[in-house]
Amino acid sequence: MSDQPPSRRSGRQLDVEGVWKSYGSRPFVVRDVSFVLEPGEFLTLLGPSGSGKTTMLMLIAGFESLTRGTIRVDGRDIAGEPPEQRNFGIVFQGYALFPHMSVLDNVSFPLRMKGVGARERQRQAAEMLDKVGLDGFGARRPHELSGGQQQRVALARALVFEPDALLLDEPLGALDRKLREQLQIEIKEIQRRVGVSVLLVTHDQDEAMMMSDRIAVMAEGEIVQIGSPGDVYLHPATPFVAGFLGETNLLPGECRGFEGDHVVIRFRNGELGRARIPRFGGRPAPGDAVLASIRPERMRILKPDETADSFIEGKVVSCAFLGRHARYVVDADDQSVVVSTTDWSEHSALAPGTPVRLGWLSEDAQSLLAKDRHDK
Amino acid sequence: MPILVFLVLPSLIIVPMALTKGDLIQFPPIWISIHSFTDYLGDPAWAQSTILSFKVSILAVAIGGLAGTTAAMAMHGRPFRGRNLVAGFIVSPIVVPAVVLALGDYLLLAPLQLVGNWMALAIVHAMHVTPYVFISVQTSLAVGLSAALVRSARSLGAGRLAVFRFVYWPAIRPGLLAGGVLGFAVSFDDVVLSLFLQGPTTITLPVRMFTAIEYDLTPKIAASASVFIALAVLGLVVQGLSARGRTAA
Repeated sequence: MSDQPPSRRSGRQLDVEGVWKSYGSRPFVVRDVSFVLEPGEFLTLLGPSGSGKTTMLMLIAGFESLTRGTIRVDGRDIAGEPPEQRNFGIVFQGYALFPHMSVLDNVSFPLRMKGVGARERQRQAAEMLDKVGLDGFGARRPHELSGGQQQRVALARALVFEPDALLLDEPLGALDRKLREQLQIEIKEIQRRVGVSVLLVTHDQDEAMMMSDRIAVMAEGEIVQIGSPGDVYLHPATPFVAGFLGETNLLPGECRGFEGDHVVIRFRNGELGRARIPRFGGRPAPGDAVLASIRPERMRILKPDETADSFIEGKVVSCAFLGRHARYVVDADDQSVVVSTTDWSEHSALAPGTPVRLGWLSEDAQSLLAKDRHDK
Repeated sequence: MPILVFLVLPSLIIVPMALTKGDLIQFPPIWISIHSFTDYLGDPAWAQSTILSFKVSILAVAIGGLAGTTAAMAMHGRPFRGRNLVAGFIVSPIVVPAVVLALGDYLLLAPLQLVGNWMALAIVHAMHVTPYVFISVQTSLAVGLSAALVRSARSLGAGRLAVFRFVYWPAIRPGLLAGGVLGFAVSFDDVVLSLFLQGPTTITLPVRMFTAIEYDLTPKIAASASVFIALAVLGLVVQGLSARGRTAA
């Protein structure tokens, strides 16, 4: 199969348009969600639990019925089709391998359901097992495999019938950190080799950043922002996105006007600072309450002679050495500000109570409208 | 332990007692003859009772197995109001005193002229088998079936029948087997229900033994008791084998 061009197996286009979902009279769990999964694309629905991302996946798979909206595969509306007639490969959180079947039987199961002959489906299943690096494991039972191996069997089973798209529901949730990182790379590699489009659902932002072409950040049933990992991390549209993808400091202030590409912000202590105008999301107007989002690794503790574009003053609360970097918590303007620095030695560590000046470059700060109902 | 030995010992001496030469059941037996076995099998009344007992218990297990399994399947993973009440109702035949059940069924079946009908008796036995199957299938479903398994089968193209065959059935099988064996034992053993609902041609083996012990004390009683012991051993072997098959699976 490797001689086939990737486009031959790169899946179809999945269109999700204006999808709403509610259970009975309860409030909507999915609100007006629209996105397109391009053939061959790796798109992640990222959000905290209860954000509606798993429900969205179940709607696409057909295990939940739409309240409103349409879901199309290559332009064909699939709303009326039961899950067994839709052509999606799904990997569930616990893998859901059939415990009484051998690995090979598990992988050839979808082919058997499609009426492929015994020899042909065994051949294809063995080939797919080879692709996921489980050559020779066909005769084993699922419980004889490690978590990572089971995961790959589930992946092989979901890919063997050339699905329109691969849907992954927190597939790595049950594994420990090291194995998870290793499998993230492996899944990405397998996806590239097979060329299938993938929709991943996860709450793990590292996983989303590592694997995705695009990330759709979800909160309270809505997509808050959709874009490349770089876009959502560097140019968050709302304070929620800024806080959910990585850690950030959100300093409240008021918009006082503009200076080039920057918003001038007056902080609560009266000092003026600058932050970029948001690329996505609402643009603040003078007088609006805004937040300046500055990542801990961009916030600096200034030496007495150093300057920065903007700064605030505070007192060190605590300092923790974490190996690669040190992490200070500073009380500034009645708010905890986190500073992550590699400039740390046993002698230069600042004791709690030390007054410090924190500064940042205008380029490293992002202004955000404070009004955000996803703000938690 | 001594209490256990004290309680089990009498059932172990039944088999030697069947090997007596005498015409009465007695201890110690007069060694050694198998005439009680040949008498037992050669007596049309006893042979008929043995066959009847098998017929009743097999039909009871078939009906009870179906009822218990479908009930357990229907209730699996579906929390609803009154769920415990329904489950309690299904297992109630184990809790309600057998005499009360027997009397109730007698009063129900007598006007319908069904007392002495072997199929009616089997249905009543089935009511007693159902809870055992229900409980054990419920347990094996809880262990072997998850919503994700059903969903994953469906997403892989399995329709209703295939989901049953490849997901439900493997999860049900061990529970059905265990519950069926237990239910068969309960039904085959039953005296109370069978005694109330007996007719001239529907005297089950336990009832025949009970009557015989009152009137003629024939060693056929001991010989037929061996049948029960053989069945019990067989049941244990089947369970042991299936348990081993499961751990190997």
